[in-house]
Amino acid sequence: MDFTYTEEQKMMKDAAHGFLKKVCPNVEWYLEMDKDEKGYTDELWQGMAELGWMGIAFPEKYGGIGGDFLDLVVLLEEMGYKAVPGPFFSTVILGGYTILEAGSEDQKQELLPKIATGELIMTMALTEPGTTRFDPFLVETEAKENGDEYILNGTKLFVSDANVSDYMIVAARTAGNKLSRDGITLFITDSKSAGIKMSLLKTVAGDKQCEVVFNDVKIPKANVIGMVNEGASAIEKTLQKAAVGKSAEMLGGCHRVMEISVAYAKLRVQFGKPIGMFQAVQHHCANMKMATEQSNFITYKAAWMIANDLEEAPKFAAIAKAWVSDAYKKVASIGHQILGGTGYIIEHEMPIYSRRAKAGEYAFGNPNYQRDLIATQIGL
Amino acid sequence: MAWDFGLSKGEEAYRQQVAKFLDRELTEEIARQTWEDLGLWKEGREFARKLWESGLLGWSWPEEYGGKGMPPIYDFILLDELGKRWGAHVPNDVGYTMTGHTILRRGSEEMKKEFLPRIIRGEIEFGLGYTEPEAGSDLSRLKMYAQEDGDYFVINGQKTFNTECHYSEYHWLCCLTDKTVSPYKGMSLFIVDMDAPGITIRPMITMSGEQTNEVFYDDVRVHKSRIVGEKNKGFYHMMEALGSERNYVFVPSRYRPYLEMLIDYAKNTMYDDKPLAENPMVRDKIAQIAVEIETAQLLADHARWMEWAQMTMTCEPEITKVVVSELEQKMVDSAMQILDLYCQLEEGSKYAPCGGRIEWEFLHSFMTTIGAGTSEVGRNVIAQRGLGLPRG
Repeated sequence: MDFTYTEEQKMMKDAAHGFLKKVCPNVEWYLEMDKDEKGYTDELWQGMAELGWMGIAFPEKYGGIGGDFLDLVVLLEEMGYKAVPGPFFSTVILGGYTILEAGSEDQKQELLPKIATGELIMTMALTEPGTTRFDPFLVETEAKENGDEYILNGTKLFVSDANVSDYMIVAARTAGNKLSRDGITLFITDSKSAGIKMSLLKTVAGDKQCEVVFNDVKIPKANVIGMVNEGASAIEKTLQKAAVGKSAEMLGGCHRVMEISVAYAKLRVQFGKPIGMFQAVQHHCANMKMATEQSNFITYKAAWMIANDLEEAPKFAAIAKAWVSDAYKKVASIGHQILGGTGYIIEHEMPIYSRRAKAGEYAFGNPNYQRDLIATQIGL
Repeated sequence: MAWDFGLSKGEEAYRQQVAKFLDRELTEEIARQTWEDLGLWKEGREFARKLWESGLLGWSWPEEYGGKGMPPIYDFILLDELGKRWGAHVPNDVGYTMTGHTILRRGSEEMKKEFLPRIIRGEIEFGLGYTEPEAGSDLSRLKMYAQEDGDYFVINGQKTFNTECHYSEYHWLCCLTDKTVSPYKGMSLFIVDMDAPGITIRPMITMSGEQTNEVFYDDVRVHKSRIVGEKNKGFYHMMEALGSERNYVFVPSRYRPYLEMLIDYAKNTMYDDKPLAENPMVRDKIAQIAVEIETAQLLADHARWMEWAQMTMTCEPEITKVVVSELEQKMVDSAMQILDLYCQLEEGSKYAPCGGRIEWEFLHSFMTTIGAGTSEVGRNVIAQRGLGLPRG
């Protein structure tokens, strides 16, 4: 057993910390990014690419650095700590990892090196208006075979960063009924294709989630990922990584909220002493610390399991996402309580985190969804 | 150095050996003696002897006292495997996981030779003698006093909630040896023979049926050589041991048998021709118990790892303590909601589900957030030592 970062991970973590502090300078900047159509700056994206972040977990033969999922999680934690906006998560985890795990050799050769250099932005389109909750396997978007092509019709919702993407991996029905896991096929879809209409959804965290409508969109057969009708298992694998990756981001957020709240409790004087001297406030802080510690270890354990391809990885991915989602929500709400009115003001850092905590909770399956997965995993 | 949540080959081999032994030897009767704190009786002592003779006890103790000189993880593996089978702890819990370590750290060579080999072989047990009627969370209110008299101390006073004393060989006693200074600087630790003349033990029965005790000292004479470590340094010896003791005492694997019991119940209990396992509320509650056990297990693993990596622990074992004790209460509440009306039925009662185990656990669970330090004191420790908040 060992609870330490490798030397490389430590260096990377420090470098990330310094870089992100510089490119995400202040609250005003975040508020601008919220309003901005694109939602991030070239300085941020290019800088990350130059540091090699997009290719951190991909093999060297595809232009990557040859690290593993744990290395990526170290970075995501730092990004969560700084609440970094932009399409990194969508591109690397939803796009890149899906190609790496399920794509053909040609697709890997073609796309992964471009992802690694920051040339390509990708995402994945799963959820549909036909469901009232997160259910990646309710797919009514239809792909019909037509010669060398498929013709795609349907609507996808909550597609992160579709507005800035070059390609989307779209889950569409090629057989079976709307809830059947068999009969889902994944298509690499050029986001600029004729027949695609996108609009930004206005969301609590100001992140860029889109509605994407496909109207007779033509996709070459060569763009199918893996086998026709057998996309579900690739979706599942990507979602496990997404759940743990999102947990890592939320963990970073927990750390930052705890840091600013504890610092404030030490400085803010009321009734003649720092409020952090009152046990009521101390117990709030202790609760943050406990929830964050648990988040830390469960995130890294799940990531370690994925990196080592262990049998229990799916269970631990769900446990991590269930726990950290609840923990971040709790930590953010305690943060607000300690910071009082100050933290309720839009120019304060705190709302950035509580809004992201909410987005994170519902991304890739909320805790109830995850607990249902866990129940199945433990034999119920 | 890199994140690693697995066991090494040697550790895994030991784990399997222990598992095999326990599956064969750990009967329900012995498990209940430890889990329900009923005491270490004939069966438990016999079990400890077998554990020793099978070569499975004492791996993490120095070779010169009978151990194998291996890192602490081996003892933690033993505790985890016991916990998974309702075993809760090694039979001589206090000696093996608490006082033995302080003897090793602070005791004289003579004392180590006298006590450690028997602790490691699972032959002797201690009862903790800290709490007094006026001194609960606040140990500075101790009154019990040891008056020096030549080579002896003469001890008078009263202890309460001293749980193991009715079956242990020794009392691990904390009392004042200097009344002229701050109590923190005037406490000493003693090892007292439990059957020494002048000691009276009076049982106190808890709401879940365990026995704890009041212990009265009436001119009890104890030789100076039975002071552990330095005279008047008792408080500091206790404090330095606290983190490690929590690492050994709060073992999240103890809740795994409950989880398995509930999974089994949900799969095999039908309502409206469907197993409860299909009911969304039942699934959600049981899954949440699994989530909390896994995250608590990691807190324990991490704090234990800090201990054997010889890192300074500030609040890590305290976090485990608070989390594990509250987990136990939440778990029993969820379990009761799943059993519904039937959760009230006690062991032996007609229709009692899960052998009445949940009903007993409900009664027991009130102790967890109080015993060994309340959750409130625990949170103060986490805030002050872990996060650097000022003392109020």
